[in-house]
Amino acid sequence: MFDNYIFTENTFRNVESDGKLSGFELKTLIPYYRGIPYSMIHDIRVSVDGNPVEREKIRFSADGEDWFTLSEMETVTTYKWEYGTQGTIYVDQPGGLSAGKHEVTLAVVIRVAYIPVPFEGVRTREVIVNLPKQEEITNE
Amino acid sequence: MSQIKRAVSLYSLQDKYARGIMTLEDLFSFLVDIGVEGVEFITDQMMQGTPYPSEGSLKNWDRLIEKYNLKPVCNDIFINTKLYKNRVLTTKESVKMLVDEIKLANRLGFDLIRLVSMTPPEIIEPALSTAEKYNVTLALEVHAGMSFSHPMTQAFIDVMKKLDSKYVGLVVDTGIFCRRHPRISKNYFLGLGMNPEVGAYVDNIFDQGLDPLQYFESRTGNAHVFPEDLKKLFRSETDMIYAIFCSGYENSKFEILDDYFPYIKHFHGKFYEMTDDGAEYSIPYDEFIAYLTRKGYDGYVASEYEGQRFVLFDQPIDDLGQVKKHQEMLKRLIQSTSR
Repeated sequence: MFDNYIFTENTFRNVESDGKLSGFELKTLIPYYRGIPYSMIHDIRVSVDGNPVEREKIRFSADGEDWFTLSEMETVTTYKWEYGTQGTIYVDQPGGLSAGKHEVTLAVVIRVAYIPVPFEGVRTREVIVNLPKQEEITNE
Repeated sequence: MSQIKRAVSLYSLQDKYARGIMTLEDLFSFLVDIGVEGVEFITDQMMQGTPYPSEGSLKNWDRLIEKYNLKPVCNDIFINTKLYKNRVLTTKESVKMLVDEIKLANRLGFDLIRLVSMTPPEIIEPALSTAEKYNVTLALEVHAGMSFSHPMTQAFIDVMKKLDSKYVGLVVDTGIFCRRHPRISKNYFLGLGMNPEVGAYVDNIFDQGLDPLQYFESRTGNAHVFPEDLKKLFRSETDMIYAIFCSGYENSKFEILDDYFPYIKHFHGKFYEMTDDGAEYSIPYDEFIAYLTRKGYDGYVASEYEGQRFVLFDQPIDDLGQVKKHQEMLKRLIQSTSR
């Protein structure tokens, strides 16, 4: 239902800091029809080629300035992930994603006031990583 | 001619906004182009920072309302009772949130708030004096799947009748009047791999003049427990999800509302699919408008398009065309129905 909002096309990239690849990121819309405080983001899961990324390695930011881990976000009530804003999910992984073709799956789970079970949106995309220029193309 | 007025909920056009294809101003401009009188608005959806938007956002709203001369009809709000992972908000916390939403609704020019289904009824009375002061009515949404038979809806209605204030009422969503299960939902789930027999099973329930909640209740004694012959058809999780979702469409008689006028402040004109002959596939709007007209209803019916939910990856969404067709249908029915 909201899977269509997950994992925006052409947003995967390896991230460089201090001259080295420190991890990778991808962008997504919220799997819901309105904005919510970060504390209502129930879970974010990333897997690469079927292997789940450790929860502790995942960071989220909707403004691209302040980043939170999933456990930190549980108490973050003053930052909102607005509807229509591309939120960024960063995975701390020195060296980034290796060159070649990968299947990357993103799941975003949020809590909703009036529905007992959390909402989840999931999408898998094929990601092609070209090194050393760190260019990428994402396909269906 | 009927005295019913028309509005559009911007919920209908959310996809255009989310993907950055249309701005709030583009949406306002579209509504004016198709001759709409009023706008329904989810503040959390299209006004950043709600319930504390920036001065800039507020000024932009004022400018749009003045420029496009749309009447702010209904403000849809949500109390984030699940703000924290480890507990539900207390009544005091929820009341504070509701009070802030009332003030914002008033600032934006709304005199009606739609509270989403399952909003805790105990927060109404403590917020009533604020609602009166700011001239904002608090109305619970009666939505299919959570309508009159739902304990939380009944609890709200008990509070509403006890308070008996013109500032407390109901918003009814016409998804409770589905005579057929929405075809686009079935086709979407078939596209996801649903067993066609599950789709046919649900269609058959509606063909008998029932809805899934009524039928499951009659078969198993519990509206949320599936009969064995349905469960036998489940081959994948998709089949079960469809069976859960089908309870979100009810097949009630219009007369279920008889006892609730004048508590009814507003209608969500839910629609899933406008057909080529200008009707809604599931909901008989001709009968609905005739019923409201007989009742002397002179409030708004706001188009609320739900068809954008049933689109497979990267398929186009004709939300603009569907909203235009729904408004044309409402206009035709309102003009041709006499009291």
